[in-house]
Amino acid sequence: MWDLISNLQLGLSVAGSLKNAGLCFLGCLIGTLIGVLPGVGPIATIAMLLPLTFGLDPVGALIMLAGIYYGAQYGGSTTAILVNIPGEATAVVTVLDGHQMAKQGRAGIALGIAAIGSFIAGTIATVIIAAAAKPLTTLALMFGPADYFALMVLGLMFAVVLARGSVPKAIAMILLGILLSVVGTDIETGEERLTFGWMEVADGIDFAVIAMGMFGFAEILRNLENKEARAVVSGEIGRLLPNMADLKVSLAPILRGTGIGSLLGFLPGNGAVLGPFASYSVEKKIAADPSRFGQGAIEGVAGPESANNAGAQTAFIPLLTLGIPPNAVMALMIGAMTIHGIVPGPQIITKQPELFWGMIASMWIGNLMLLIINLPLIGIWVKLLQVPYRLMFPAIIIFCCIGIYSINNSPTEVVLTAAFALFGYTLIKLGFEAAPLLLGFVLGKLMEEKLRQAMVISRGSLWTFMERPVSLTLLVLTLVILVVSALPAISKRRETVFTE
Amino acid sequence: MAVEDPADRSAGGATPGTRLNREVFAGLFLIVSAAVGYFGTLPLDAGSMSGVGPGLLPKAVSLGLAAFGVYLMVIGLLGNHERIDGFSLRGTIFILGAILAFAATVRPLGLLVAGPLAMLISSMADPDTRPLEIVIFTAFMTAGCYLLFKVVLHLPIPLLPPLLGY
Repeated sequence: MWDLISNLQLGLSVAGSLKNAGLCFLGCLIGTLIGVLPGVGPIATIAMLLPLTFGLDPVGALIMLAGIYYGAQYGGSTTAILVNIPGEATAVVTVLDGHQMAKQGRAGIALGIAAIGSFIAGTIATVIIAAAAKPLTTLALMFGPADYFALMVLGLMFAVVLARGSVPKAIAMILLGILLSVVGTDIETGEERLTFGWMEVADGIDFAVIAMGMFGFAEILRNLENKEARAVVSGEIGRLLPNMADLKVSLAPILRGTGIGSLLGFLPGNGAVLGPFASYSVEKKIAADPSRFGQGAIEGVAGPESANNAGAQTAFIPLLTLGIPPNAVMALMIGAMTIHGIVPGPQIITKQPELFWGMIASMWIGNLMLLIINLPLIGIWVKLLQVPYRLMFPAIIIFCCIGIYSINNSPTEVVLTAAFALFGYTLIKLGFEAAPLLLGFVLGKLMEEKLRQAMVISRGSLWTFMERPVSLTLLVLTLVILVVSALPAISKRRETVFTE
Repeated sequence: MAVEDPADRSAGGATPGTRLNREVFAGLFLIVSAAVGYFGTLPLDAGSMSGVGPGLLPKAVSLGLAAFGVYLMVIGLLGNHERIDGFSLRGTIFILGAILAFAATVRPLGLLVAGPLAMLISSMADPDTRPLEIVIFTAFMTAGCYLLFKVVLHLPIPLLPPLLGY
């Protein structure tokens, strides 16, 4: 207990210095400004702004980069709500109800609850990280490849639960996503897979290409033929801040989302992506009226947004303690640390305590600044809605084109995005959902890697998944979720049979 | 959002279905995807369980996809489901055309040509577009993109045709 307080004190004294607090503020502001632009997600934002930090000392540089990350993350949620484009995988769920709320003229409330939920989640997550950094490290160290694999299967099952419509179609989309993730050079053998001799995809398909094509451009195509969906974007904005009733409904989802997000976020293996999905599924399952979800339920924004932010923070745990990047953003952070001469790994907490605790304390300061930046500026983001759709979509086109091009300075990726736009449009016409595909794509590569490792360790015995308590628990949980989610579907089908 | 009704709810709807309904096409789509995945990775070694090769996962996933494809086709052929609605040709042509035009012109002609070109082509996808308004808006957006991506962020995007020396 005293350890915790003195550690946080040390952290606050580092992060609270005028210079570091200023860098944190600047990072949050720039991150939000860039991150709110469609087509420029947190990864592109951090990559773009990385050179800005070269002149700083390591602590200041990492604090600023972390600020940029939170800002961009929050900006991604803003675009998810306002323009139906998830800036990053973690904002995919926010699109579902957040954009529906925007369509109903409650964009301001959706943004407000996202900011408030994120702040509460950030505050709690900071304390959780500080208190649990050491014990969690020992737990995470117990995770073998089989356990990671089981964890990802569980995450994908959440994606099935999440999808509206038929379960077979959702599972098919996950499989298609995994299939897309193998495109490129196989890491272990160096053999090219499904590239059909096309060198441009030898490194695999970029996440942003798929996300932009299927969520950005395909959505424009859908909106253009659906007058109803289009009219709402230029419709009423509504109040900017949630009222007491909204807050009351949202408080429990925020706290649950924080818990789920923190827990999943710290696990190596991109757990932070699973948090919002898991939180959404939980809220949908325990809601008195689950049919409101996908139709603009405020719990569907409050919970996942809190989980998103909590997970974004606890994702630093594997990075700071084990030196393992749980996702692409953290991989960039590792790159930044190396540039500044810091070797990521377990030695940081003991050898560079001011860096470790300074970063943790800066997380809370960053969240406070996000709240200060975002609540007054919400008006600016909401003003984007007043632009009629006939102007909005050409603007989205130019931003996304520039954004996609600038990831690798490759015109080919722009062409590939157009192909995915057509692909996504086709899927819409065939009644498929894009969200499970995206998750399958994000997790596919890692799943294969962990499966291979697990099979090598167990010498080809699939029993390893049953023999390891962690993986067994996760797989049983997966089965339970599948059964539970199947039950209402069964009853629904019965209902239709009966009414007929 | 009417397009998104899941298969099982549309059964027995008001409009009589056809044998060539949406579910049949959805199944066909999955089978074609599975075929591309399976035959595309055919030469790759699947390895053994203790030494998983590069071909195992794509092939297994493709077989799974094919199974779901067959399932959807059978469901579609047996029941009454909604028809597939046609693609909007105007939207598809101009939106995709705009993106492709950007990709084709950004290197040789630069951002100040490719950007407005993409915006103007895409604007033709919407019958509501007003010519004067979109031209003025395009000019503003192009200036804004120049300031943000070139002046503030210094992205290495060509600005004007390299022949002009920029």
